Amino acid sequence: MSKIKSHDEYVFQLVANIFLGLMLVVVLLPLWRVFILSVTPFKYVDNSFGLFVNPIKWTVDSYAQFMSHPSFLIAFRNSLIIMFGGLAINLFMTVPMAYALSVRSLPGRKWLNVVVMIPFLFNAGLIPGYLVVTGMHLQNSFWAIIIPGAISIYNMFIMRNFFAEIPMDLKEAARIDGAGELFVLFRIVLPLSIPIMLTIGLFYAVGHWNEFFTPILYLNSNKLQPLPVLLRNILMGLNTNEFVEYDTFSQVSVQSLKAASIFITMLPMMMVYPWIQKYFVKGSLAGGIKG
Amino acid sequence: MRKSIITASIASTLLIAVAFGGYAQAKPVDLDLWLLQAVTEAGPPPDDWVGYKIIREKLGINLKLTLQPSSFTDQDTKISVAAASNTLPDIFGVNRDLLIKIAKQGLVAPVDSLLPMMPKRTETHYSDPMRNKLVMVNKKMYGLPDPGAMDRVEGLVIRKDWLDKLGLKVPTTIDELYAVARAFTTKDPDGNGKDDTYGFGAYYESSNLATAGFGRRFDYIMGAYGVAGTWNFESADKFQFNVRNPGFRKAVEFIRKINEEKLIDPSWSAPNKDEFRARWKQGKFGIWWEQFAALATQANYKDFDNNFPKGEIIPILPPKGPEGKSANGLDTANARIYAVSAKAMKSGKGPAIAKLLEWMASDEGYYLCGFGVEGVNFNKDAKGYINLQGIDPAKAYSTKAMQPLTQLRNMVYINNDIELAVRYPTYKSANGKTMDPLGIWRFFKNSPYTQAIGSSLVDPPSNVNDFTRYYNENLVKFALGQQALNDKTWAAYIKGLDSLGAKDIEKTAKAKLLDAELLE
Repeated sequence: MSKIKSHDEYVFQLVANIFLGLMLVVVLLPLWRVFILSVTPFKYVDNSFGLFVNPIKWTVDSYAQFMSHPSFLIAFRNSLIIMFGGLAINLFMTVPMAYALSVRSLPGRKWLNVVVMIPFLFNAGLIPGYLVVTGMHLQNSFWAIIIPGAISIYNMFIMRNFFAEIPMDLKEAARIDGAGELFVLFRIVLPLSIPIMLTIGLFYAVGHWNEFFTPILYLNSNKLQPLPVLLRNILMGLNTNEFVEYDTFSQVSVQSLKAASIFITMLPMMMVYPWIQKYFVKGSLAGGIKG
Repeated sequence: MRKSIITASIASTLLIAVAFGGYAQAKPVDLDLWLLQAVTEAGPPPDDWVGYKIIREKLGINLKLTLQPSSFTDQDTKISVAAASNTLPDIFGVNRDLLIKIAKQGLVAPVDSLLPMMPKRTETHYSDPMRNKLVMVNKKMYGLPDPGAMDRVEGLVIRKDWLDKLGLKVPTTIDELYAVARAFTTKDPDGNGKDDTYGFGAYYESSNLATAGFGRRFDYIMGAYGVAGTWNFESADKFQFNVRNPGFRKAVEFIRKINEEKLIDPSWSAPNKDEFRARWKQGKFGIWWEQFAALATQANYKDFDNNFPKGEIIPILPPKGPEGKSANGLDTANARIYAVSAKAMKSGKGPAIAKLLEWMASDEGYYLCGFGVEGVNFNKDAKGYINLQGIDPAKAYSTKAMQPLTQLRNMVYINNDIELAVRYPTYKSANGKTMDPLGIWRFFKNSPYTQAIGSSLVDPPSNVNDFTRYYNENLVKFALGQQALNDKTWAAYIKGLDSLGAKDIEKTAKAKLLDAELLE
């Protein structure tokens, strides 16, 4: 019996591995293709449908083209400010609310949950948001990007569920010893919540890193624009080069530049993700179990 | 008496001095301008740009520039949001469809009253009645239509070195063009011993009702059958969709034939401009339709030049069809439109806006916004033509670093000889041949084009996406051989268009064009 079971398990494992392997290929192939394109000289762009790249034909001209742009470092800095600044505000707002709503003895907890659900289900829309931001004179500052998204209800609920799963006995013991709620949060709950903090932090960080639409709406100064907006402007400049003849444009192919722009924006996240992956799965699953 | 006269004179002089002094020191008008930037990657003029100082001191205007997003879609979004929240800037660049929409909502002001305040600008920028019609709502101008891109910039080109190698003449009819395409496909015109070339190259680029069908890259084929463009503008009696014209089906049959016989690069059915341009630069095909600057300016030609130092591309007249018709493309009206918000006009900023625009049309404004500071960024000869003699190369107006200084140039350019000469200079190719992009443009400009100016005025129907999708996809299926092409299937196709409201669209469009006096 156990032999049959192990055989089944073996087959299951094999099928699962093959399936996951195929999925990996499906995910990695487009990325690999984009990378190859980004390092292929114009002359060989047509042949870049091949999946392997000849090292002799490599070029990093596309990356150099972006990085030599006078605004690249400024835009990169702006993206970092938006990402880290936004992340700090996000966690500062999300953690206390998630913790408060995870405490079952909180007076009016059900009512608060309902109130919180309203903006989650019914979005006010673009125009009212624009009016609020402009009414508060937040235009042309990073606050216009950060404050409207200071808290994501979805992320807050995931975090609340994770906090709620932390054994009540631990919290009770601390309270019996005279600990206040802040002490419980910072000394008991948060040290046990690293997976969810990293998971939710990654959600927020990725969102901020990719900010494109709101900067276009609210940041009129080029000095404040983040990396995605700059990359878009450079690429749009390539599309207009049929109308002007100034020495402003690319010396490499448009396809390679587009591919390089994708890689440049992905790179920081790709570097961070492997380090927190083990927490990521644990955090998102644990937080998502309870409704 | 004399004393009192002197006293009165002094008093009145003081009064006048105070009055004029007060005028000169009056608080400058704040103008918020959302600019359609000339070079999207370059950024705005620096804070110490001399133009700000001149505009403030001479015109009494505090100009605040905001560069609009680089893509049309993002521009529309930004303006739509500002319009919906009634926070439009004083003056802003906007596309025609959105302008008409917000004009009808009363968010932008008619600008007819500003024209007499800027006579020079009106003469140089707003004197083309056809262009002005683009911004008319109920006979009033709701926008300032600056001259847009140059006209007739695209046309048919051919690899002359391939013609020479195969001993062929420049084709003049659609049948001759077909024969040349066959030779380019089968006779190894590049001499590399490989069967790797095609006669025709193109890509499918239809995007809206005005360019419905296969898109503009096939205009020279459609033109040979008298059906270039979506509409038949020959006369009011004949006004209808071109697909109803028997010549249209013949053109589709021609494209189907060259596709079946593999005389056209098979990548044509993919809407990829970059790929298309990469492929002619790599010598994949010998006959195609291209924009003159995308073809021949140094930055764009260099890849082809590097790959084929002995290669030569020449413009040719579009081929004549069975009835002797031909067209390289469509004559359409285009403009870069600026609108004045109703809010700005109500608050009395109209005269300041007119003053700014009039200054931009003056010599001072024109050269400063268009080329920078004379003696620093450029020099000019007695006729006003630009040169860089004696200019520090690092500060030349044409360098990458100086582009922010001329971000307003599209508000002053009028496509005159001064601009064209510097925008499209001649140069030597690798084989020592003089390349003259403007010469190619002039060739296109003098070639046959189909009049379709009214196409810019036809408002799209509410189901425009469904309509153009059906219109385009079926044509591509016919051409690719994925759908039989005979009397029955063609009639079914036309019937399908009618079921999507083709006749109503024709009727509405005709009424509008008659009203605009664009049909006779």
